[in-house]
Amino acid sequence: MALFEPEHEKLRPDVNSQALSVIAVENDFVEGVYEKLATVYDVFFGPILHPGRLLALQRMNIQPGTRVLEVGVGTGINSALYPHHCHVTAIDFSAPMLAKARQRVSRKGLHHVTLMEMDAAELTFADGSFDIVYAPYFVNCVSDPLKVVREMQRVCKPGGKIVLLNHFRSTNWFMSRFDRVLTPLTVHVGFKSDLDLPGFLSQTGLQPISIEKVISGLWSLVICRRD
Amino acid sequence: MPVDAELLEILACPNCKTPVRLVKDGAALKCDQCHRVYPIKDDIPVMLIDEATIEP
Repeated sequence: MALFEPEHEKLRPDVNSQALSVIAVENDFVEGVYEKLATVYDVFFGPILHPGRLLALQRMNIQPGTRVLEVGVGTGINSALYPHHCHVTAIDFSAPMLAKARQRVSRKGLHHVTLMEMDAAELTFADGSFDIVYAPYFVNCVSDPLKVVREMQRVCKPGGKIVLLNHFRSTNWFMSRFDRVLTPLTVHVGFKSDLDLPGFLSQTGLQPISIEKVISGLWSLVICRRD
Repeated sequence: MPVDAELLEILACPNCKTPVRLVKDGAALKCDQCHRVYPIKDDIPVMLIDEATIEP
């Protein structure tokens, strides 16, 4: 894995088989959390996470006619960022979050954005349907991140991009322990803070073409090419 | 129009993974294989097996 320091790899000999997080969550639990968060999500997570969203859109370099799938659209906070010359399909499991997204899409006249209620672990699209499959601040929040990413790979066209904007467990020894300690607490807001990036990439078979740190290095923008 | 023709081409039934078609004047999507009908609520197609009804 060229994008990681060799020393880091040596520390993780079990990268192919290790548990990616110390916490397991169920879909129903996550759905319940986001039902409660729907009304306040934009206030708490809007401005603070925005630099990552802007960088992701910039790096995606969306061309006219591109088909984009946004996995975990939430309140639709990204929707207005997409250029009007592309086609965006945006899915979420939470009906209350989607209701917020619908209001936003309708208010801003975003006719190029289509919303759907769907389970990210069981995407109901044909193989190779999208040029870009993008999951912003989402993979930490699902019960089975590997299953979700495998579905993202399946529906992405060969040569397309899979884009993850996510917090992964720090590579710094102290911060890594901190992430592990924090996870049983952050899980109550539907978020696992200790997802391991090397293990995650290895177990999904994702091939990153770039990994950039955003928002004080706490979040990673991982862009992968679908083989 | 919540589901345009291009999107309909790539959309599949969550149960059978086969194509679906618009029914009820565009108010729902139906899989002809398992006869499940997926509602479109407030312009949002609900592609969840638990939310579908079975209609022959």
